[in-house]
Amino acid sequence: MSIKIALAGNPNSGKTTLFNALTGSNQFVGNWPGVTVEKKEGKLKGHKDVIIMDLPGIYSLSPYTLEEVVARNYLIGERPDAILNIVDGTNIERNLYLSTQLLELGIPVIMAVNMMDLVEKNGDKIHINKLRQKLGCEVIEISALKGTGIREAAEKAVALAGKKNAEPAVHKFAAGVESTLDEIESRLDDSIPERQKRFFAVKLLEKDDKIQTQMKSVPDVSDVISRIEKEMDDDTESIITNERYVFISSIIDECCTKNRKRRMTTSDKIDRVVTNRWLALPIFAAVMVIVYLVSVSTVGTWATDWMNDGVFGDGWSLFGLVQVPGIPSVLEGGLDAIGCAVWLKGLILDGIVAGVGAVLGFVPQMLVLFIFLAFLEACGYMARVAFIMDRIFRKFGLSGKSFIPMLIGSGCGVPGIMASRTIENDRDRKMTIMTTTFIPCGAKLPIIALIAGALFGGAWWVAPSAYFVGIAAIICSGIILKKTKMFAGDPAPFVMELPAYHMPTVGNILRSMWERGWSFIKKAGTIILLSTIVVWFTTYFGWIDGQFRMLEDMELDHSILAAIGNAVSWIFIPLGWGDWKSAVAAITGLVAKENVVGTFGILYGFAEVAEDGSEIWGTLAGSMTAVAAYSFLIFNLLCAPCFAAMGAIKREMNNAKWFWFAIGYQTGLAYVVSLCVYQIGSLITGGSFGIWTAAAFLLVIGFLYLLFRPYRESSTLRVNMKGMAKAK
Amino acid sequence: MGTIIVGMIVLCVIGLVVRSMVKDKKSGKSIQCGGSCSHCGGQCHMR
Repeated sequence: MSIKIALAGNPNSGKTTLFNALTGSNQFVGNWPGVTVEKKEGKLKGHKDVIIMDLPGIYSLSPYTLEEVVARNYLIGERPDAILNIVDGTNIERNLYLSTQLLELGIPVIMAVNMMDLVEKNGDKIHINKLRQKLGCEVIEISALKGTGIREAAEKAVALAGKKNAEPAVHKFAAGVESTLDEIESRLDDSIPERQKRFFAVKLLEKDDKIQTQMKSVPDVSDVISRIEKEMDDDTESIITNERYVFISSIIDECCTKNRKRRMTTSDKIDRVVTNRWLALPIFAAVMVIVYLVSVSTVGTWATDWMNDGVFGDGWSLFGLVQVPGIPSVLEGGLDAIGCAVWLKGLILDGIVAGVGAVLGFVPQMLVLFIFLAFLEACGYMARVAFIMDRIFRKFGLSGKSFIPMLIGSGCGVPGIMASRTIENDRDRKMTIMTTTFIPCGAKLPIIALIAGALFGGAWWVAPSAYFVGIAAIICSGIILKKTKMFAGDPAPFVMELPAYHMPTVGNILRSMWERGWSFIKKAGTIILLSTIVVWFTTYFGWIDGQFRMLEDMELDHSILAAIGNAVSWIFIPLGWGDWKSAVAAITGLVAKENVVGTFGILYGFAEVAEDGSEIWGTLAGSMTAVAAYSFLIFNLLCAPCFAAMGAIKREMNNAKWFWFAIGYQTGLAYVVSLCVYQIGSLITGGSFGIWTAAAFLLVIGFLYLLFRPYRESSTLRVNMKGMAKAK
Repeated sequence: MGTIIVGMIVLCVIGLVVRSMVKDKKSGKSIQCGGSCSHCGGQCHMR
């Protein structure tokens, strides 16, 4: 029979790092609270029959948040054999609040005091033996990051789980509270095991109505509650909270010695600069410029050029010694040698290799970007960005809590949208869902890199500007939507613990980069591959003189895809890219955003251009002006996301009307912004003034009006009396 | 003959791709978002 050990502790106390170390898993570790929302399980290394459960970080066993509900339901309902309680040694007072609750559950508890290396560095001391004595449970010092003490903690947890019986909680509250708890315990029937009675008694005293669903029969304790509330002149929840902190304070006094001489920590010093009222935003902007500049325009470009021009082009030289041929030429030679039919050769070279190769060509740039993002997340800077953004978002109707989904959305929009469910305020949640995908996800990076590289000659500002266009779209949407009746109201307060900065491990960074990069490569080998086959077929087959046949390169204007593209391309004429090729690229991007690049790869003859030895994206550059290319980039960044993300929006909105409103808003905004950029940009760069230019100026005026019109609090409440009467 | 062999290989690859996508879908992973479930915190499985 297997043993179950649950890892429980405060957010950002190092549970997932410990979980990975104990199980050999590769779960994502982030240096901000709330990385783990759902529980995860893995087997303890060297013990096939021991299951370790990583629970979301929680501050208490009170059901205030989704994470607390998930963790509490598991601990009460599933009852693991032991709890390994991870405590952040640098913040022990707050962490012990949860520990006192865990000890009441009647489950064997072993406490692992984490980050002991930091405690020592700060000059503080935790007297483990005294702590053990005071809490009545085994206490071990560990450093999950450095791997010290974790084996011992796991072995002791396994041994404790084998005993099955938990020691009763030794901490006691004030005499009056204890006698009240005894009275409630006596009213509990036999369906509650003896060792759990204290926990349920405390919860009933706290008037925790959700606990009642876990009980077969609920005794009436209202008389006891009203009596103690009258005696202590406070509500019972506050009484219990106070009692816990009185107990914790007594422990801290005896078990911890603080370094009185301690000055500001390194984290505090860094925060004085990076979260400074005036410097925070310029520093954030500079960081993101560097990230995108290095990823897309410098280091990433060298690697991508090697992929595009070498691996998927006309070959590359290995240390100047051996000339390695490119994949298309090797495949072409092989297919010619075995006498493969022209259409099949076309499918493989012009379809699969050109389409998938075009997407894979951007993998190096993505990996560089993912390294940067992983570093910023793991070192703790991104948590500060949420704090910085809260100050700005709040002015525009959103809270910093909305930035967390956007942060996650920079990898992929789907989990970003899903993460919005932690926002309690329904208006804020809906607005966050609508705006999260404005932040460029990993799949949009190839589009950014393509436009920056092929059409702007690698100009430094193009890639970072894509990120800032996303942020600007979120802020402007916040301002505009908040002034409508649907979203009016103050944003919910945002409370977030800022974790200490730490240097992330190379393993953690590489693991995070590889996870994100691998999902991109996997996608290229599945959904992108199937899409390229469909795009190739519809590109190279069509009707000429009433006959359906395979087309030559010069006849592609008669293809099925050209017919589809021509039917819709007129919509995009005001945006500057009204040719059928760009139109279908934007449409195929709805399946997956990488498809935009894959489709261009097929339509602009990726393999053939490479064979000629010319610039791989040269033909694309010749078909679009720079302003039109930027308009194309903005449209693809802001318009409706891929189908997967749309599915996530639909699930999270849980309402067809709201879903279509979100998609319509995103697409409409993308169209308006792209139109204004192209029309006004063309006028500035020497174009003529036309009807669409006038429309662009009108739209800018309308946009400015919506941004700056005064916000009016509603002075009337409209109630549909007829509707209410009917409902009754 | 070359066409038949290459055609069979391409069909096999497509079959494997579709099979892996169906398998991922059945096991609760997302096909289009790349299935980076460990990174997203398993939030797809919450409903």
